[in-house]
Formats: sequence, C-alpha cells, structure tokens
Amino acid sequence: MSMHSFVARFSSSAADPLSLSLQSRNATQADDEDAGIPIELWGSQAGFGSLASQGGHSFAVPKVPNPAEFLRMHTDEHEGKIKIQHGTTCLAFRFKGGVIVAVDSRASAGSYIASGTVKKVLEINKYLLGTMAGGGADCQYWETYLGIQCRLHELRNGERMSVAAASKYLANLVYGYKGMGLSMATMICGWDKSGPAVYYVDSDGTRMKGDVFSVGSGSTFAYGVLDQGYKWDLSDEEAQELGRRSIYAAGHRDAYTGNTVNLYHVRENGWEFINNYDISKLHYEGPGGITSEGYGYSVRTAEQTSRSAENDAMQEVEGDLV
Amino acid sequence: MFLTRSEYDRGVNTFSPEGRLFQVEYAIEAIKLGSTTVGIATPQGVVLGVEKRVQSPLLEASSIEKIVEIDRHLGCAMSGLTADARTMIDHARVTSQNHAFTYDEQIKVESVTQAVCDLALRFGESMDNEDAMMSRPFGVALLVAGIDELGPQLFHTDPSGTMMKYEAKAIGSGSEAAQAELQDKYHKQMSLLEAYKLTLSVLKQVMEEKLDQHNVQLAQVTLDGGFEILNETKLREVIDAM
Amino acid sequence: MAQQRSFNPYTENGGTILAIAGADFAVVAGDTRQTEGYSIQTRYAPKVFRLTDKAVLAVNGFAADGNMFVKKVKQRLEWYKHAHSKDMPLQSIARLIQTMLYAKRFFPYYVYNILGGIDEQGKGAVYSFDPVGSYERETCRAAGAAQSLVQPFLDNQIYFKNQTGEHPTHLPLPHVLQLVTDSFTGATERHIEVGDGLEMFVILARGRGSQELEGVAGIREVTTSDERERVFVINRDLKRD
Repeated sequence: MSMHSFVARFSSSAADPLSLSLQSRNATQADDEDAGIPIELWGSQAGFGSLASQGGHSFAVPKVPNPAEFLRMHTDEHEGKIKIQHGTTCLAFRFKGGVIVAVDSRASAGSYIASGTVKKVLEINKYLLGTMAGGGADCQYWETYLGIQCRLHELRNGERMSVAAASKYLANLVYGYKGMGLSMATMICGWDKSGPAVYYVDSDGTRMKGDVFSVGSGSTFAYGVLDQGYKWDLSDEEAQELGRRSIYAAGHRDAYTGNTVNLYHVRENGWEFINNYDISKLHYEGPGGITSEGYGYSVRTAEQTSRSAENDAMQEVEGDLV
Repeated sequence: MFLTRSEYDRGVNTFSPEGRLFQVEYAIEAIKLGSTTVGIATPQGVVLGVEKRVQSPLLEASSIEKIVEIDRHLGCAMSGLTADARTMIDHARVTSQNHAFTYDEQIKVESVTQAVCDLALRFGESMDNEDAMMSRPFGVALLVAGIDELGPQLFHTDPSGTMMKYEAKAIGSGSEAAQAELQDKYHKQMSLLEAYKLTLSVLKQVMEEKLDQHNVQLAQVTLDGGFEILNETKLREVIDAM
Repeated sequence: MAQQRSFNPYTENGGTILAIAGADFAVVAGDTRQTEGYSIQTRYAPKVFRLTDKAVLAVNGFAADGNMFVKKVKQRLEWYKHAHSKDMPLQSIARLIQTMLYAKRFFPYYVYNILGGIDEQGKGAVYSFDPVGSYERETCRAAGAAQSLVQPFLDNQIYFKNQTGEHPTHLPLPHVLQLVTDSFTGATERHIEVGDGLEMFVILARGRGSQELEGVAGIREVTTSDERERVFVINRDLKRD
C-alpha cells in the first residue's frame, strides 16, 4: 500500500496513467465496469484496440491491501504457481563499426526449458534494437509500445527519436510501475546523430549509457570473454565474432542460457540480422567461415600428451555438451 | 443560402425548427474560404495536391504544412481553418499506432477516417465529470488518402463528421470549378503521372498567382513507396511535364 | 501458531493441450479431463475452441480463467468485425491476445494459451503464450500438466531433434494426427491429470483438399462459411482411470 502510494505521489509523468487508473478503478469499479470491460470499449471505439480509449494503459489490479505482494505470492518469484517465462543472457557493445547485439534463445519457466527459440532481440524499429532479459512479456510489451511512441515522435517532430530519448522514455515508463513487480532488464541500442549508442534500462529505474553491457544470469560468463576481447577499433568481423563467442561462453556454463545465439549488427543506416547459431554446433564446429574451429576447448586439447587414451575415451562418453 | 439568419443559428447545439444545425453548416461554409485542395485515386495510388497560398513574399513557403503523413500507408491534405486539423491529425496518428500495437497490422483507410470523424461531434459544453469538449465544431475538411488491402482509397471528411469515399475530390475556395473539371477529365484507369498532371491543371485554373514549385505541394501514397511528399526536384519534373 | 486463511483466487484444473503447424494446415488438440487435486471434476470439459474459420484457441491452467478469457477474445473478434468489416487475421489475434493478457499483468489470467490456425499466406501457424502475454510463433507446442512428457516427444518427432539422417521438411496430415493421438495416449498413461477424452481441431488452408480426412472415425465439420478455410473436429476416447 505504501509503495503504491509512493509511486502515485512521486511519478506523475504522462506515461504513467497507472496512478490515475488504479485510483479510479478501485473507487468506481462497481459502477463503471461491466464484466471487466472498460466503459470506453463500448460503442464506436470498440474495434479500435486496447489503447484507443483515453490514450493510456489501464491495468486490472486485485482489490487486496497489497497488490504487489499478491503478485509476488502467486507468480514464480517464490513458490507461486504461475510460471512466467524468464529470459537469460544478452549483450551489447558499441565500437567504431556500430553496435553488436548478441543474445541466447532459451526461455526457462522454473527449471523447465519452455522454449529454445525465443527471439530476445526486439526490433523496435529499423534503427533501434532492444534486448529481452527478465520477464519476457514485460520486455515484449513495453518495447513494442516504445516502438509506436518512437514512430509518433517521428511523425510529430519530423525526425527520428534519438537513442537517448527512446531509452529515457522507456525508463520513465517503467519507473511509473516501480514496486509493482515488473521484471525487465534491457539494452536499447541504435545509431543516431551522436553516433552508435547503447543504454541499459531496467525495471528498478536504472538507466545507464555505456560502451559494453551484458545482462542476465549468464552475464558474468559473457563478460569474461567480452572484457578480454573488447577494443573500439575492432573490425566488423572481429566484433561479430566477439559477440558470438561471448554468448557461447554463457550458454556453455550457465544452465539457464543456451540453445542458439542470435547476432545483430547496428550500422548507421539501421540494423542488420547477421545469423542464428546453434550453441552445440558452435562448440564442435565453430561458426563456419573464417573461424571454422570449434569453440569448445575439448576440440583444442584432443592432442595433448598428458591425457591418456582411457581418459579420452571417458571424456567422449561423458562429453562436455552445452 | 444564409440570407435569412434566424435566432437558431447562435447556439452550437441548437436545432432549428426545420431540423438544421446552423453552426455546423456555417463551419462547412468556412471550408470554402480555404485554399484549394485536390485528391485523385488511381489504381497505382492516390495523389494529393494543395495550393499553398503564400500570402507574402517574406513568408517561408517551405514552412506551410497542408499535407501531412498519418502513417506509412496514409496521408491527408486539409483545407479551411488548418490549425483545427492539428488535433485531428494527431488523433489519426495515435489511432493508427494503437491499431498497429494491438493488432500487429496496418489500420484500414476507412477505419482511421472513421476515427477522425468521431471527433467531430465532441463540441458543446462539458458537465462536471465529463471530459472537456471543444467549444465549437472543427472548421476544416480533410482529404484522407491511403492504401490498404482494398487498394488505394480517398475519403473526404467535413465538420459535420460525415465521411464520403471519392474517386476524385476538390475542396476549398476553387472547389466548385475544380470538381467540375475533375468530373470531366477523371477516368478510372489513370496513371499516377496523369493524375499529377490533372491535379496541377485544376490547381492552375483556380489559383490567382502563376503556379510554380513554391506555391503548390504534391504528395502520393503508393503500395511500394508508402506516403511521400514530392521533393523539389520531383515537383519541378512534374510541373515541367505538364 | 495462528492459521492464515485467505481466499486464493486461483486453482489448477490439470489437462494438457498441444498444437502443430503443418505446411497448409494446423492441428490443435486437448484432453477433456478437468481435475482439482485428486478429484476429477468432469470427464468432458472442452479446452479447445474455434474462434474463426482460421483460428482455434486452446486454453489450459485455471479453467475459470481459461473459459472467461475465450469469451472475451470472441467478443473482441466480434467488435473488430463490426468496426473494420473483416475477420481478424491470425497474427492480429495473436497480438490481441498479448495485449489482453498483459492488461492483467498485475492480476494475471492463470492460463497458458496456444493459438493455432492459418496465416495470411495460407500456411499453418502456431502461437504460444505465457500467462502475462509473452508470445512467439512456433511449429509445435505442448502445454499443461503433461507438457514435460509431450514436448520432448514432439521435439524428436516434429523437429527431428537428436535424430540423424534425412527427414522431410513437411509432415503429412495423417501422420501428424497420429502423433497427436500417440502424445495423448502416452501422456494419459503416465500423468494422472490427463485422460477421459481427446478433442482435436484440424484447420485446413483455403483450397486444400480434405481427402486425407475422409474415413476418419467420428470427424465432423464445424466450418461456418463457404469457399474459405475449413475446420474439423475429431473426438477420441482416452483411458478413464
């Protein structure tokens, strides 16, 4: 309750109709709503989508003393049953050739691998990318919303929204819901008038500009490779290799990261999708092209003399798969 | 038409005994003072043309904005009290984006036009807990041009909130003469270039000054290129081709 | 120690659903058992619903939320049709479902949705959702109580994971129906909350022949309009113990 009123008192940006809608909902819910359908959706506005009315979002909130606690109790933060899909390792870094964005594709719901083909790079528009870590729905929904707001900015002002402005918009937006249980850690990446830019934004309200970021449960593994290989003057191929190799490292060692790597490169005229790489394949065979050696160290240590033939046989049986 | 003014023409929401809303009708009259605007729909796309009406040589002609983009596949041209159109355009843009957000698709031309027309009736007095309304009807008419799965379409909206689909339409001060010319020369299988030439010839007839690339503006909506206002080079080409 | 009693708005009703996208068809299926704890509430509670002639929605988790959610989706489809004079395309239904689920981000629908049908290009499509609206288009997906039994089977038989050798890019319809039936008979054997009956919806793209479905026992057509996509329902029994 106190956290909610804190939010209501101290965040009054236009992007936060939450404080208004929550109050009005709790007060007038009985008379205004009919089977949970907001009054604006009747009549001619009915076919025009959820945001058409009043130009804002309104979220149903349970009528309990502490809604944030309710949500925490029932979703999988502790032992609650509703398992929301969580995303896991993403990275982005800027260099002279633009921005490299690399992510894995595993979604876990508790300890079940819900999917191995999740798209964790969200194409906000042709020149802005966002990454997904934390709650998948929170990232997908708000970054799609950011996309339409960027488009409106373009139409109203005759020029593209800068990466700084886009990331600020998103950060202010989620700050309005601080304490309510949103889980989102994203990197907004793009190339605008000031050059390539990467901003880290999360649902606690953090927003940081930086050159190199890695987010998620496997980020520490990715940083190990990233920090060691990073230079501003990397060539495009070297930069892509660094991104790919870092996610591979995270996929190899973090249980919640794996399946495939999705690699993107943001250039001055927009982003380009490079490729999707299977992490198992990267381990044994590498990405193909220039570096055709497998990333896994077992591939490199196969010839070493201190290993006995028996050890080798055992290694093959046990394998060091992803 | 309005030679006899009655006591019923002052109140914005008062019907006259004959069943007319004079203020709305007067608002429609206001359009006839506006600059001439032409729209033509062809199988390849829709063409929009406006007379910029540069009142003074010191006025920067490039700052006159009478044709605007609503979304990639939609644009519109206005005539009348053009400042009134700003809220309508913004509403159209927001509706289009909201639709894309909720349904992951481009909004239909008719639907976005309908959304704009729904604004027309929000004038009058607002009661205590109602949303604030406009004090008077809009004094601007729009020609909405777009392409969707039904092909290229052109719609006309006016202050009464009526929307009509047209193959070719002219609004503004020279609209009567312009509309007659359009009816004469328009045919369904026009090419985009032919539509441009017809638009320019119609504008030329009704404009006082000599037509050049500084006092008119042309735009098109096509499937491949989306909405595009012709830049100086292309505009000059089309004018020369005339 | 004082006992804390409070109203829990959610419960789990068991069951399993799955959907598979073919080249020009889609199959969406679910068992019909509804449970709560160790009790069977009913042996026939449908979990798969026809939205339009090209979209079928399967819902699993908390049945009350699932049923209500389907009603609300159908309502939105109707309003859209009145506003825009057309049926909602499948990808729009998918996005709509995301926005409807996310609107209850702070009091979620405890429902795992799987949407199956035909996309605007005439290809089979499956979209799967988490309870708060995260979604992705896939080729096949299983959800519910026995998802950890069924999904690996599908990964092997549809995506040919952990199999070497040549495999076809597209699977024929009768084969897919057999895989679905086998998934459910297997799940019924090894999961207490799955059984009683199986309901399979088959959606065929426009112009695709239905010869492969001739002779399938107990099949009935539920298409509502001519010359468009077609929807069929097949019911089967599953073990009731």
